[in-house]
Formats: sequence, structure tokens, C-alpha cells
Amino acid sequence: MKIRHSAAMLTLALGLMAGTAHAAVSPSELVGPVTDYKIYVTENLDELVKDTKAFTDAVKAGDLAKAKALYGASRVHYEGIEPIAELFSDLDGSIDSRADDHEKKEQDPGFTGFHRIEYGLFVTGSTDGLTPFADKLMSDVLDLQKRVAGLTFPPEKVVGGAAALLEEVASSKISGEEDRYAHTDLFDFQANIDGAKKIFELFRPLIEKSDKAFVKKVAANFATVDKILAKYKTADGYEYYDKVTEADRKALSGPVNTLAEDLSKMRGKLGLN
Amino acid sequence: MASSLPPAANPPSAKWLKLALVGALALMVIGAALFYYASEKARDAKLAQTGNEVAVTINATSCDPNDLTVPAGRTVFRIVNKSERAVEWEILDGVMVLEERENIAPGISQTLTAKLAAGTYEITCGLLSNPRGTLHVTPSANAESSRPAPVAFIGPVAEYRFFLAMQASGLTKAVQAFADAVKAGDLAKAQALYVPTRTIYSQIKPVADSFADLDNAIDAYADYFEKKEQDPGFSGFHRLEYGLFAQKSTSGLGPVAGKLVADAAALQTRLRSLDVAPEKLADGASRLMARSAAAAVTGNDERYSHTDLADFEAYVAGSRKIADLLRPISAKAAPQLSASIDQNLDTVTKTLETLKQAGGFPPYDQVSEADRKKLGDAMQGLAAGLGKLNAAIGLE
Repeated sequence: MKIRHSAAMLTLALGLMAGTAHAAVSPSELVGPVTDYKIYVTENLDELVKDTKAFTDAVKAGDLAKAKALYGASRVHYEGIEPIAELFSDLDGSIDSRADDHEKKEQDPGFTGFHRIEYGLFVTGSTDGLTPFADKLMSDVLDLQKRVAGLTFPPEKVVGGAAALLEEVASSKISGEEDRYAHTDLFDFQANIDGAKKIFELFRPLIEKSDKAFVKKVAANFATVDKILAKYKTADGYEYYDKVTEADRKALSGPVNTLAEDLSKMRGKLGLN
Repeated sequence: MASSLPPAANPPSAKWLKLALVGALALMVIGAALFYYASEKARDAKLAQTGNEVAVTINATSCDPNDLTVPAGRTVFRIVNKSERAVEWEILDGVMVLEERENIAPGISQTLTAKLAAGTYEITCGLLSNPRGTLHVTPSANAESSRPAPVAFIGPVAEYRFFLAMQASGLTKAVQAFADAVKAGDLAKAQALYVPTRTIYSQIKPVADSFADLDNAIDAYADYFEKKEQDPGFSGFHRLEYGLFAQKSTSGLGPVAGKLVADAAALQTRLRSLDVAPEKLADGASRLMARSAAAAVTGNDERYSHTDLADFEAYVAGSRKIADLLRPISAKAAPQLSASIDQNLDTVTKTLETLKQAGGFPPYDQVSEADRKKLGDAMQGLAAGLGKLNAAIGLE
């Protein structure tokens, strides 16, 4: 009896020693979510190509009102997949760079892409001279689609993408500096959040096994952000960002920063550091 | 331990035994604590080692230094923004971003930890128009061994599963159009659609063992059935091939085509959640190539339509896909083997190309014995190369 009891204690002590290495996720479990993420990105690119075509067609047709109306929504499918789209530095620069990234800002000949057209449509108030930018944007987006099709997704970039999207929101969306001419930031804001949430949801079952509290906290913060953003939804998109109240900007910043910090732990939790 | 105890006339009392056990337990706890302390110390040492930051200052028009050299492995970079605008800092491999830190505010510094393989990279230095700097990463003993870590296979296997999903989705669409032609009694159209439909499937044959039941329904030969062509169990592509090309008629093929549509749909669902072990890739491709090498001699694969060459081409494409996905790993772990597989792929592709005529591939019954042997040898060579791959990349 006593011997058996002591043996049980020994087993327990040994178990405690082994317990210092916590239950890790096996690499093979990460394959499915990475596959599904590529499918998600591919579908988003199909939409981006369609939306960019409609947008650039309107610009080239000189239809200022239509081009302005399409601008906000046309970028959504780019913003949602930035963790992958940004891997191609040349295309990210020509599709999505801001005037600040260029020496002569708005007047720099290297300033192209969505924001260059945004500047023309919303500041200059004309489609004049925008055709070359529209053509280049369309061909860049098609090039991106082709390159992503041939890309083996690096798992650490996929998982790290959730935090990267939230950092992007924290650093440039809350301030309203992304779409500074059109003030359509809320489209991008929601797209960044949706893109991050997709990544979180794909890996959620794997993290849930070892850390239920983490998953619950992250899901709750996503819900808070979504709830505030929902207040600004309109029939065909979102209110302009200048309509967002100071109180709501503050209310967004807390959960956004917490999400950015929490999501940055996902790589470690999944054994990808 | 027992041998060090003096021989006892009586068995040790329960009390002594208990004391010994408690002592052993205490030793273990001390051992565990020492182990913990040692591993913490080791970790601290590692941190201190990687704590040697490499500083890069971004000025208005350039990086300082503009030319950096670090050893392979993990490096911590501290990026100091001394320009007047928020900047991002990136390490580029060609046009691809390896690592980046975005939105570094003016006057602020941030760190970035990068695990780099030996090679030469570019670094961005603030504005897009600024000249880029160079980052040399020298080979180092500290870098990982040549045996790839299990995480190295996540990307390639995920990409292969994405490929399977795309093929399956293409297949269901193509099979539907093919079945429509069969059901409409359009013999010429059905015959024309046979090859383009089948070759979508042929490309995923390397892993067909993982869905053997559906593979039997979709792709079995008449030989596998008791009554061969007349057997009611004979279905799928080759049953349709038999009707369309040997009997030259669509009559009675409606239900067979309908079943192929259902089987393709079932395959699409199955592939969505199919686990593919990394070792299945090269192994499956090697075995498919070995089987094809034998079939190249007999010409038995497409015995009614004689479209074997289109099949072989699709099998090679499916095998090339696998070689492509594993190349980033094999080129590092087994550069010679990797290069020789690439050469095998080239040889077999060229051999197929030389057989092509103005209107595409000739019927296989018109291919000479010499050419069949040449093709078979090329595929055998590829099979042999691929067969060595798993062991070379640590998968056996």
C-alpha cells in the first residue's frame, strides 16, 4: 500500500518535471489553416481585380462622380490581404504608397496607385491626367494576382499578419491619415480588422486547446471594435472618417492596441518564432 | 544504488523504504530546480548574445551604414529614424520583403529581429526614391543545421493542398461540361473534351493513394475488374474512354458520366480536409513516374484513345509541381540531388516536346519503340531522383 502510494508520488514528481515543456502545436496542424488562408487571399484578389477594373474604368471614362463613389470600396480587398500583398515591396509601393513615402510628395512622379488617383479625384477634383495611373494600377493589381498565385505562403507571415494588420490600424487608421483626401478610412479600417479576424479565426481552434482565456479576450476585443464601426455603416459603405466622434476614436484605440499586442503573441503560441 | 547498501539480514523496514523514497524525491526536486536554473542561465546567455544589436540610422536620403554584414542566424537590428518623416525599414530578397518594421516615427528607434540565411539582401532606407543599402549575411556555424526543421514543410504542404483544391475545383467544372456533351450525344465534342478533362485529374495522381476509393471509381482500368470492359463495376474516365473511342458512341454512357460528376464532387469535398504528410509528396511523384516509365513501353494507359502522351505530360507537370515546392528546402539540404532532379525534369520535358507535332501529340500507337524507350528512360531517371529526395531532406 505504502509502496504503491510512494510510487504514485514519484510518478507525480516526474510528471511535474516533464510538465515544464508545455503542450505545443505540431507543425502539421498548421498546414490546414495556411491552405485556407491562401484560398481566402485568392478569393479576395479575384474581387480586387473586379473592383479595380470598375474603378479604373470609371476614372478613364472621365466619370468623376462614379469614380469617387467607387474609390472607398475598391481598396477593401487590398487592405484585407495586406500581410501577403505587402510582401511584394515593388507592387506595394506602386499600388498603395502614400505621398509621404515620396520625396516630392504629391508632385513626385513616382507617386502612383490608389492614393495618387484619390488625390486627383478628391483634391484636384478631376479625372484629367489620371488615365496613365488608372492603367498602371490595373496592371499592377493583375501582376499581384499572378504573383500571389505562385507564392508559397510563409506560415510565420500568415500568422504574424494578424498583428501586422492591427498595428497598421493603430498607427495610421485611428489618426485618419490613410485616405486623407477622400476620408474613406473606415472602409480600410474594417477591411484590416476583417483580415486580422480571419487569420485569428483560422488558427483559433489550435490556440484554444492551450489557452482558452487568450482566445476569449481577443474575440471580445474584436467584437467591441466591430460594434463601434457598425455605428458608422451606411447603405453603401461607411461614413467619412471625419464623422467619427472623438469619444469613439478613443473607444476604438484601447481595444485596437490591445488586439495588436495580443495578436503579436500568436506566432509564439503556434511555435513559429 | 542497491549494490552500495550493506547486505541486510532482514528485509528493510517499511520505514526505511519510505525514508529512501522521500530522499529520492527530494533529490529529484533539487535536480529539477538545478535543471531549470541551468536552462534559464543558458537562455540568458543566448539573449545576451543576440542582444548585440546592429544599429541602422535612417537619414533623410540614405542609411548609415549603407553596407552591413552580419552572420547567418538571428540578428537584432535597431532602426533609428533621424529623418523628418515616418518611415518603414525593410529587408528585401529581390522584390520580396523578408522582414519589415513600419511607421517608425521621426526621432524614434525600433528593433527588428530577423532570422536570415546566408546571402546578399537589399535594405530600404526611408523614402522610396532613396538608394537602397546592402546587407551581407555570411555563413555561420550558429545558423541552423542543414537538416530542415519540421516547420519548414508547413508552407510547401499548404501550397500543395491549395494546388489540390484548385485542381479539384477545375475538375468538377470540366467534368460537368464533359458529362453534358456525353449526355447530349455529342460524340465529337465528348471525344475532344476527354483529354483536357482527364489531364486536370492526372496532375494530382502523385497523391491518389490518399483517396484510393475515389481514385478507383474515377480512374481504374478495365483489367482491374472480373469482366473487364463488360463489368458493371468498371466506371470513370476509362469506361467513358472505352465508349467514346473504342465503341465510338455515347449510347449508354449517360449514367457513367453522371457518376463521374458525383465522384469529382466527392473528391473536391474530400480534398478540402485531406491531410497530406510531407513525405507523401516526393514519394508519390517518384512512384507515379516509375509506373509511367513502365506504361510508356506498353502504351496500355490510354489503350482506346491512344492519348497517353497528354497523360504523361500531365503526370510530369504534377511531379514538377512537387519538385518546385520542395526546391527551396532541397536546394539547401541537398544541392546536388536538387540540381539533378531539375535536370531529370528538363530531360523528360524535352523528350515529350520532341514528340509533339503540329496538331499536338500524335496517337501513342504511332510512337516508335525507340521513342517509347527513350521516354520511359527519362521518366525512370526522374523517378530515381525523386525517390532519393525524402532521405536527403530529413523526411525518412
